[in-house]
Amino acid sequence: MVRYLSAILLLFITIYSDPSEENVVYFTDSGYAEFTSSVPLHTFTGRSDHLTGLIDPEVNLVDFYLDLSTLRTGIDRRDRDMFRTLEVDDYPFAEFTGSLTSSFDFQSSDKQSVAVTGDFTIHGITREKKVEGTLQNEGGNLKLEAEWIIDITNYDIEPPGILFYRVRDEMEVRIEAVLESVPEDEQSDIP
Amino acid sequence: MKIKPTYFTIFTLITLILFFLADTAKAQLQRERVELDEPVADIFWAPTNIGISTVRNLSKYSLNSSVLHTFGLVRRGPDQFFGLDDGANTRLGLEYGFGDTFSAGIGRMTFRKIVDLRAKSNILRQTTTGSTPLDLAVKASAGISTLSGMEFSDRISYFISVMTARKFNKLSLQLSPMFAHFNLVSANQQHRLFGLGIVAAYELNDRFALSAEYLPVLSKRNPGTYDLMAIALNIDSGGHIFQIFFTSSQWHNEAFIMAHNEHRFLDGNFRFGFNVNRIFGLRRN
Repeated sequence: MVRYLSAILLLFITIYSDPSEENVVYFTDSGYAEFTSSVPLHTFTGRSDHLTGLIDPEVNLVDFYLDLSTLRTGIDRRDRDMFRTLEVDDYPFAEFTGSLTSSFDFQSSDKQSVAVTGDFTIHGITREKKVEGTLQNEGGNLKLEAEWIIDITNYDIEPPGILFYRVRDEMEVRIEAVLESVPEDEQSDIP
Repeated sequence: MKIKPTYFTIFTLITLILFFLADTAKAQLQRERVELDEPVADIFWAPTNIGISTVRNLSKYSLNSSVLHTFGLVRRGPDQFFGLDDGANTRLGLEYGFGDTFSAGIGRMTFRKIVDLRAKSNILRQTTTGSTPLDLAVKASAGISTLSGMEFSDRISYFISVMTARKFNKLSLQLSPMFAHFNLVSANQQHRLFGLGIVAAYELNDRFALSAEYLPVLSKRNPGTYDLMAIALNIDSGGHIFQIFFTSSQWHNEAFIMAHNEHRFLDGNFRFGFNVNRIFGLRRN
């Protein structure tokens, strides 16, 4: 009898108790991302304000993705060339999923250097990547800044070229976002 | 050894499953495409289609440099290398995007040494979701002849057009009612001219497009002039937009095309020409 009561009690605790009573996640769908490529004597940058990301301290999850078709260089013909190079119709997202590998004090409002290790995916190819950046608690929200360089040939992206010059293999990626804290009872709204 | 499941075991299992689900519910985000309600790109590939301005405008901080050439009549034959030896009318132009819907520029053409100042503004932009079904833009310009020995006011001409266009998949169409005023004209010529520019473009693929234009003068026209007609092959080289064309007019600005085009395309009186457009993004990173 005691065993049954214990089991029922355990079940009710599991169902009705908040397993992470103070669990807050941080989310944005309007972060900034830019991809900068260069040719001799010139660089061009694709920019987007549609970076979507989630940081969940409870399970140490850092997850970001960008719909690459939202990138704009300022010249729409060049946008079209960029989409063709990245084969955006077949591989619409650039993604990073990983976890914090350095400590971060969520209570401090200081800007803190952090490192995140995980999988970066673009053009359908996934590679492990360590990214360094900063995180800062801004009034309960998290401000994230990070940048890294990828070799696009590692992701089977053919650098486009015209006549005697072609786009360099290295592409700089920079992201900046303020992730708003989302309390537990509103987290079901996150896609 | 046979293990008999008990209620306790089942409850514990359910509890563990619920616990596991509660934790994994916070998995990675579901990937969703963004549906943008933004202007349709590439209704036309260049701000000017052969000789008529299009609704296409420059993005903010973009600079378009253009070189426009027209030569003599092709029917002049091999002696004049099919018109190429007859001298070109060349227009060199620069336009800058001060905003995503407003640009201004300056150009100069060989004939009559006309320097023109122009501005173009997009009032409506056709959007990808169809919330705005067409593009509407206004272009205004003033031409100044820099020939010597003229009063300043006699050098001036004015031009305004309202361009409305829509892209249907690969086909783009534009209608441009237009008006030109010349301060000084020769005897029997008109100070004011009204016309209707008609432009069509069809994308063959990402690199090639065909386009054509027709510009009938609707008001009383100048003696000996005809409506413009032209056809072009547009080539996107990845950095430049080339337009290789045959046209009845050797002039480059719509006002002067209406006033001075003296040849009929369908009579075989057309000439070779080409335009080169190069857009530079000047936004600082």
